[in-house]
Amino acid sequence: MLAAFRKLKEQEIEIEDVFTPYPVHEILEKHGRKSRITIVGWFYGFFASLAVLAFLIYTAVIDWPLNYGGKPSNAFPSFMVITIVLTIFSITILSLFTFSWRAKLWPSFGKPIYHPEATDDKFVILVNKDSTDANKAASVMKETGAIEVLEK
Amino acid sequence: MYNTEVRGPLILGNKSLSQITADITSPLYARPKFWWIVGLGISSVMMLLGFWSIYVTVAQGIGTWGVNNTVGWGWAIINFVWWIGIGHAGTAFSIFLLILRQEWRSSINRAAEAMTVVAVGCAAIFPALHMGRIWDAFFIIPYPNTRGPLWVNYNSPLFWDFIAISAYLLISASFWFLGMIPDFATIRDNTTSKVKKAVYGFFAMGWRGSSGEWKRYEGLSYILGGIAAVLVVSVHSIVSTDFAVSVEPGWHTTIFPPYFVVGAIFSGFAMVMTLMIILRKIYKFEEYVTDAHLDKVAKILIFVSLIMGTAYLTEIFMAWYSGNEYEIFTFFHNRITGEFTRQFWIMFVFNAIVPQLMWFKKIRSNLVIVFIISILINIGMWFERFNIVVTSLSKDYLPSAWASYSPTFVEISMYLGTLGIFIFGVLLFFKYIPMIAISEVKAVNKYQLKKK
Repeated sequence: MLAAFRKLKEQEIEIEDVFTPYPVHEILEKHGRKSRITIVGWFYGFFASLAVLAFLIYTAVIDWPLNYGGKPSNAFPSFMVITIVLTIFSITILSLFTFSWRAKLWPSFGKPIYHPEATDDKFVILVNKDSTDANKAASVMKETGAIEVLEK
Repeated sequence: MYNTEVRGPLILGNKSLSQITADITSPLYARPKFWWIVGLGISSVMMLLGFWSIYVTVAQGIGTWGVNNTVGWGWAIINFVWWIGIGHAGTAFSIFLLILRQEWRSSINRAAEAMTVVAVGCAAIFPALHMGRIWDAFFIIPYPNTRGPLWVNYNSPLFWDFIAISAYLLISASFWFLGMIPDFATIRDNTTSKVKKAVYGFFAMGWRGSSGEWKRYEGLSYILGGIAAVLVVSVHSIVSTDFAVSVEPGWHTTIFPPYFVVGAIFSGFAMVMTLMIILRKIYKFEEYVTDAHLDKVAKILIFVSLIMGTAYLTEIFMAWYSGNEYEIFTFFHNRITGEFTRQFWIMFVFNAIVPQLMWFKKIRSNLVIVFIISILINIGMWFERFNIVVTSLSKDYLPSAWASYSPTFVEISMYLGTLGIFIFGVLLFFKYIPMIAISEVKAVNKYQLKKK
């Protein structure tokens, strides 16, 4: 499968998508799909921590300061615990939703499943036959040992 | 990265990819066995007992428990800490080992995470009921209320606990679910039953295994892994500050956070061991969860047991070395000798000494003995929490306020109830969810085949 993938790339046949039962790193890198989710996650964390800290300081220091045994209202060291935990929590929830949105994953049945065994043991390369030379693509695939080439 | 020569093959039997799918999903399609139904029945009865005890506690109050003014924390807190400890296995397993790129985790992590989610759910029941008036439980949420607005005390470890446990439950559940999406898709595409196709298809959320999906999936699992690793350490540290921040002999020590975290990982791994031995035996997963896998878990247990032993000895040494008479009394006259001698020595022997038997390869490879040791560890860890909670409280500074403690039937049945919930949850997991992460095992298997 990797051979077919490389050859298709060489001949500049545009690959629409690749479906694999497990992540194949060479394809993930060469296919040119970029994911900025890690960067986004960092920003979520940054802003979440600021927001949580601001909330704690607003409620405990500005809005209704309470005297707990003469301790300072702005007890930054003990605010850190809640800030860390809630930051982690926000990153998780927000990046999960981002993942669901960007990878277009939500409960649905509308998406075409090109080959039902792509989640079992088949590796599927999807080529759009309108925009590329379908025969050429098919011959490359056959050459590199494709089990079946389907046209739809 | 996938260099496994040192460790030998992770999956035996030269499986093809479709064979892996078929092997792991077969229990989902098979009819439930007799023992499964019996187990479900027994655990349901235990759950009913638990619900009865919850009803009694809510309807009549904490007075139905054995706790008193002196020993204000009894079985409820012991069991809470115990369950949270067991609940650390999943995250410790899947997340620490994910970050350390230990590929052998992939056969075990799914079951460990399932255990985590159920155990943390069980744990959360106890502090909620321990509040006494559970219908006022929402007071702990800091929201703009009509009482001032009076905000909660952010300096209190009890509030940290509330935040940490709820975050932990949600995060470990979502991490678990994320890992299952590709496997649900596999079932959706494999099954012949219409109902299964619809249900698993719903949860697979349209997963197709495209490169964009995988790329983001991997990115996300590293984000979640990286940040949740902090949580593994922080949750039980926060639980330990519930104790360490108060001025009680035996509690007020700086050793508590690391001591609790290590203890949690210890009991969690022991429970993983128990569960995996059962699971691989029943479902014939010996080729996925190999003897080598269990051997590694056993080695981790030996090491963690040494840390536990060191922690116990450090505590005792510091009590003596501090010269504080209350500390000395608690440790030497109320734990090592005195009223709670039995509980102390059960804890010490089961946690620090018995696991050391696994240094011997013969014992480590005899799964019956390993199974017994893993259960003894969990008993020992329960007694550790008993020691911490009850012995310190029962006899502290004021001899006239000394009291003893024994649980009532309500408390015992609440504990049995959570055990029932746990068994029930694990049985449902056996039947309805692929017990081993299919896509991860496939990836591991591929690198193995390539090497040949």
